[in-house]
Parts: sequence; C-alpha cells; structure tokens
Amino acid sequence: MIGWLLALPALVVLALGFGLPLAVLIRVSLNRTVETGAMETAFGLQTYRKILADDFLGQIALDTLGLAVGCAAAATVLALPVALAIRAAPRGWQGALALAAIAPLLVSGTGRIIGWLAILGDGGMVNALLLALGLPSLRLINNWTGVRIGLTESLMPYAVLVLLAGLGRLDPRLDEAAATLGAGRVRTFWRVTLPLAAPALLAAFALTLVLGLSAFITPKLMGGGRVFVIATEIFDLALETVDWPAAAALAMLLLLGVGALAALRWLLPERSR
Amino acid sequence: MHLLLERLSKRFGRNPPAVDRLSLAVPRGAILALLGPSGCGKTTTLRLIAGLERADEGRVRVGGRDLTDLPPERRNIGVVFQSYALFPHLSAAGNVAFGLEARGVPRGERSRRVAEALAMVGLADLAQRKPRQLSGGQQQRVALARALAIRPEVLLLDEPLSALDAQLRDGVREEIRALQRRLGTTAVFVTHDQAEALALADLVAVMNEGRVEQCGTPEEIFETPATPFVAGFVGRSSRFIGVVEAPGQVRIGGIALAAAATPPPGPAQVFIRPHHVRLDAEGGLPGRVVTRAYEGATALVQVDLPFGPLLAAVPAGLPVRPGDVVGVAISPEALRVFPA
Amino acid sequence: MRRPGAARRAGAVVVLLAAVGYLVLLGPVVVVAAVSLSAGQFLSFPPPGLSLRWFRALFANREIMSALATSALLATVVAVVALVVALPAAYAVARLSFPGRRALADLLIAPLALPTLVLGLALLLALQPLKLVATWPGLVLAHLTLAVPFAVRILLTAISAVPADLEAAARTLGAGPVRTVLRVTLPLSAPGILAAGALCFLVSFDETVISLFLVGPRLTTLPVELFRYTENRTDPLVAAMSMLLIGVALVVVLIVERLAGLSRALSRE
Repeated sequence: MIGWLLALPALVVLALGFGLPLAVLIRVSLNRTVETGAMETAFGLQTYRKILADDFLGQIALDTLGLAVGCAAAATVLALPVALAIRAAPRGWQGALALAAIAPLLVSGTGRIIGWLAILGDGGMVNALLLALGLPSLRLINNWTGVRIGLTESLMPYAVLVLLAGLGRLDPRLDEAAATLGAGRVRTFWRVTLPLAAPALLAAFALTLVLGLSAFITPKLMGGGRVFVIATEIFDLALETVDWPAAAALAMLLLLGVGALAALRWLLPERSR
Repeated sequence: MHLLLERLSKRFGRNPPAVDRLSLAVPRGAILALLGPSGCGKTTTLRLIAGLERADEGRVRVGGRDLTDLPPERRNIGVVFQSYALFPHLSAAGNVAFGLEARGVPRGERSRRVAEALAMVGLADLAQRKPRQLSGGQQQRVALARALAIRPEVLLLDEPLSALDAQLRDGVREEIRALQRRLGTTAVFVTHDQAEALALADLVAVMNEGRVEQCGTPEEIFETPATPFVAGFVGRSSRFIGVVEAPGQVRIGGIALAAAATPPPGPAQVFIRPHHVRLDAEGGLPGRVVTRAYEGATALVQVDLPFGPLLAAVPAGLPVRPGDVVGVAISPEALRVFPA
Repeated sequence: MRRPGAARRAGAVVVLLAAVGYLVLLGPVVVVAAVSLSAGQFLSFPPPGLSLRWFRALFANREIMSALATSALLATVVAVVALVVALPAAYAVARLSFPGRRALADLLIAPLALPTLVLGLALLLALQPLKLVATWPGLVLAHLTLAVPFAVRILLTAISAVPADLEAAARTLGAGPVRTVLRVTLPLSAPGILAAGALCFLVSFDETVISLFLVGPRLTTLPVELFRYTENRTDPLVAAMSMLLIGVALVVVLIVERLAGLSRALSRE
C-alpha cells in the first residue's frame, strides 16, 4: 500500500489532468448542439450519428487514413537505411549518428515545418533550383504534397528509434555468416536482413501510423488551410465553430480508430510487438 | 547461545518454501558456515537474519534480544555482500563512515574509528580511493571494514571469497578468520564451497531445500554425516545400495560387510569414504584397478568390485596400476549406512 | 565474395539512401538556421544575404519576448513539479513490491498513449467550466499531464539501474529507508534524474498542440506564438523564433545524451 501512497501526488496530477478531462470529453460527446449553436445537455449518441452520416467528414476520414498510411510507410522505408547505416557504422560513430537521427524528435515541430516552407515554398530552394534550370515552378506547399513531405519527415525519427531498438537484437555476424556462404550483399539483404528486420519494420510502421492519424501541426501549417484531416477538423470544431459535442465525438471516434489499430498489434506474433 | 534462529520460514510466492522451519544456534564468538548447493535457501537465511527479508514464521534472536520484527537498520548486524555493494560515489573511508554517520557517531570519534577499521584490513593508505580504483581484494576488505566498523553483534558474509582469484582466496580466508577471532564477533557465512566451509568455520550447517540437514563441527560433518544428503554432498564417497541383514552387518551385491553402526534391518544405502579404503590387504576382497589419478600426497584409485566401482585414496607411493588386481579392505568404521 | 561488384554497389546503395534519410531529417533544421540569418524579407532559400536583422526584430518584439518568458518559467515550474511528483512514484514502482504495482506503472504512463490533440481538447472542455483556461494553474496542469509520465518512464530506468544490494547494504549499516534513499539511491540516480528534468523542461517548452487549446490573449507561450505567426505570415522572423526553440532543444539533447543516452531515455522498452 505504501507504493500507492508514494505515487499519490502523481496520481492526483494525472487524475486532474488526464482522468477528469477524459471523462468530461466522453460526457460532452453525448451532449447535443441545438440550432442556435448552443450546447444542450443530453445523454445520447445523436452527435456520433450525425458525424457518421456526414459525407464530408467521411471523406476527411478516408483522406486522413490515406495520408497516415502513406507517410508511415514512407517514413519506415526511409528510416530503414538510416538504421542499417547506424548499425553498420564504426563503434565510435554509432552514438553520434543515432543522436543526429533521433534528435529531431525533440526539435520544435513548427520550427521544422518552417524549414520545409523555406525549402518547398514559392521562393524556396527547390523552386529556385527549377527556376535556374529554366523549368516551371512547382506548388509544393499549401497542398497535400507539402503535408505528405512534412509528415513523413516528422515521423521518421520515431521509425528510426523503433528500428534501432528492434535491429539492436539482430546479430551483425549473421551478415558475415551469409557473406562467408557466398551471398552477395543484395542477396544478404533480401534473404537475411529484411526477414529478420520485418518485426521491427512492422512495429515502426504501426507506431508512425498511429502518430500520423492524429498529426495536427503538419497538416495545419503545410496545408495552409487547404488540407483537411480529422485532427484539423477537431481543432476547428472546438475553437472556430465552437461545437463542443461534435469536437468531442469526433475526438472519441479518432481515439477509437487509433485504439483499434493499437489492438491490431496484439494480434501480431509476440516478438514483433 | 548468541545467535538463535527458531523455526524460521520464508516462502516467495507459490514456490516451495525457500527456508522451511529452520532452527540454528551459534555460540558467541563462533563462526558458522551455511553450506549447501545453490537454491538451498542459504542466502535467504542470511537475509532473514539481516532483516532484508521478513520471515513468514519463526524468530531471530541475538544475545537474547528478539530481532524478528525490527528493520535491518535497527538490528546492528554487519553484512558483507557477495557483490560487496560498496557505494560507488563514496571513497573507501566514506563507505566505512556510512554506518557511523547513520548512528550519529560524532565527527572526531567517527574519523578515528574509520581509520582504525581501514588499518585493521591493511588499507589505511587507500582511504581516499573510490571503489572503482580498488582491486577486487581491496574492495572486499573495504566491505569487511565497513561491516565491522559499526561493531556489529553478528557479522554475515555472503559467499565472501567467490569473487576473488584462486590465489587470493586462502590469504583472505585466513585474514577473515584472524579478524573475527580477534574481535570475538559471532559470524555466519554462506558458501557452496565445502573446502571453504570446513577450513574456516567452527560450525557447519549443511542445508538442503530450505532445511538444515546437519549442524556440527567440520569433523562431525565430514566423519559422521547424519543424512545421506550430507554424506553425498560433503567430501568424496562411493555410494551403494544394500540391505542391513543384522545389527552390524550389511550385504551389498552378495557380499557381506561389517559395519560399526547400522539402522534396523532393511534396505539401506551405504557411503564409503575413499581414505578409509585400503588396497594392500592380504586376503581382502579382490578388485581390479580401473583408473588411477595422482593427487600429490595421495592417489585416487577406482577399483571394480563385484558390486560396483569403489574409490580409494591411497598413498601416492603405493604401486598400483590400471589392470592390477588388489586386495581391498574396508574397515567397519568406514561404512555410513542409512535406511534407503 | 562471389560478386564483388554487385555487393559493393548494394553497400553503397544503403549508404546513399541513408544519406538521403539524414538530408530529410536534418535539412529543415539547417535551413531554418540559415534563413534566420537572412537579410531578405521572405522565407527564401538560399537567403539573398546574411544579417542579424530578424534576431534584432525578435528581441525587440514585446509579445514574443513575453511569450518566451512565459514558456521558460512554465517549463521550469513543470520540470520541477514533475520531478518532485514523479520521483516517489517511480521509486515505488522500481523498488517496492505491493499489490497492483504493474497496474500502477501502466496508469502512470497512460497519458502518453493519448494523441496530444485529444488530450488538449479534453483539457479545454474540463478546464473551461473551472475558469482555468488561459491561467497559470491550467497550463501547468496540462503540461504536467505530459511531463509526469515522461519523468516516470525515465526515472524508472534510472532508479532500477541502482543495484538493490547497495540499498540493502545501507540498511544493514543503520540507515533508515529515508536516509537510504537520500544518501544512496538519489545520488546514484542523479544523472538520470537530471536527464528527466531536462526532458520535462523541453516537453513543456516545446509543447504546442495542448497549449493551443489552453492559451489566451493574456497568457501565451512561445510555441503557440510561433504557430500562430507561421499560420499568418511567413517572414524570416519565424525562423529566428524557431532558433530559440531549436537552441533550447539542442542544449537539452546534449545534456540528456551526456547523462543518460538519448535513445535509451526515449525508448519505450
């Protein structure tokens, strides 16, 4: 019992900052919004029904899923060579290389978006290059392309982190063993490295997918108000339209979707979790 | 008796009890070895004495005081851990001073006692070194000095020599023994090494599956094992299955042997120590030498008898070779017979 | 090797792809740093010339400086409170055995499983009726909800790394449970505790999404200012503003790497 007692201050903080708000969120999602836009106390699933019947929101949900799946896959695939290179690097370099790959996780997301705006924007690096080559400029921000690029990058450090943890258990001598058996590196990669890395790849994909589904800053800033995903929709419902029951219900549906995906992971074989 | 354990029991979860109604008594100033295979409950017993585990049942008494319900910090029992458990952030002197600070010993007396304890283990010069700057043997001595500086009622040592190189062991063993004698501290140490137990202890308690099989002087344990487990665990012996036919007579595989002491007639197991076997007896049992291993002063010879292989320790000068047929004599005192 | 040519090319391919990966990962940060020194008017790269004009503009901007002060103070308070609150909890989970220990451990890091957007909305809905939106207590509570689980996770690793024998030794030497924690456990887990504090500071200092729901015109944080500014205008001032956040992040990354190892501290296992 002394254990729970020592944890009491932390539990109080989390009860106030997590438990209570979550309860309020669920409660508000059961309320209803009347014609005037005011919230009316109720106890039913009418808001959920309204959302699920809304074709516009349905399209947004599909777009969100598509975005998240694509970016999670891209981030995982791009992260694999990074993780492999870190693992194959000389001992003294591994720490610095891992640090460089994971540190962006801690760097302000908005700051990195601003970097992308400067790279992809109308006066940005890519278009300056195209201009110099006499090619027509490309619209790479304020649309889905920009969101895809930005989101993929923002998910990559997570994928690297998961892959490093997963590949850490992979014995580098296996590569050598394959080489002594006469397998070239291409063959080794396809026949040895990839199958052994598969569980880690799956774990990295699963994590980045969940994060991608609820990503907010990147779609909002890279999309320039023209890209709608569930997260931006929840934000607008809460702070622009001020339709709290709808915001709460949509948030609950997002939570259920993310939860269902997380639950899917438990169906995977033990070692790939 | 200075240290008394009364029917101590400790069970972890649903496993069989680690310590099972264990009773022991150690006179003041004596050193007791808890000897047994790994997992026999000897370290748990040590932790129960120190108060690091709480007994499910039973009492721990030291000098007549019941310690059972006291936390470790109020027991005044010094412990030398197998890992030494030196505080890596404190110097050797800081480690030794730790217990004195906790007791509120005033600064002046504290530094005097720290110096004294370090000098006692021959580390006065290294007082300011951090543990990682000390060798294994030196760390061990700091741990010993730290445990002794609090002037404990009882000193506990968990496998004190196991982490040391073989060459260091004998020296450290003698040092521990000499210190313990000089200070008159009652001590209990845990070991799985019977040579260590027999050489260092006044009393040896052989443990198995949470219980004490036998507690006695090293001689008693070695020469008159009380149970088949002790007979088999301590020292080398040959084991046979036989039948006690009449008081003083055992039959093994058709051959009748005289035994000094026997249980009531019935199936029995018989242990024979190699050094009680002679191979140069006129008219002894005929046996064929199978192997001979030179061990310095003696040679260990395996002889095939009609009822099975028997080990014999004979003077190294005795001219026997594999293939020789020898006359085997086993004195009646050599047979330890237990009901099967 | 049987096909040295192909093999070498495959190795080179991995290195090349990894280089692309690093370019994607680090490019934006490098570009932001360069643009913050731009002499131009727009977020263009390469910048037309170098100057410190946007940093001068940054430090002359009252609102941004006030948001910076708020963020720094908020992050300090959050880091300190998170450590104070998380330490006994992490100690209990790492060292004591009691019914429900595993459940407690899961409970303590549960908020990390929630998308921050949902957490922010939930906090808004809960704190609005209590008149705590756009107040210090509200922001501190909201950031603690993220910082405490973070702190618990890192502290758990740090405390578990202290050998249990050392605490046992302290007890047998006469130190009570409290003295043992103060003289043995805490000093030996100090690097992990500092790393946890630094990360909690950063979690709060960088936190954008939850804050967006909870700030007001009178009380706003630097990341929120940056977000709002970026939404409306794109001049190099936002890059200079980012450099404040990135600079703090780099300091924290180096502290944590030095004290505990970044990938170990962030790993979920």
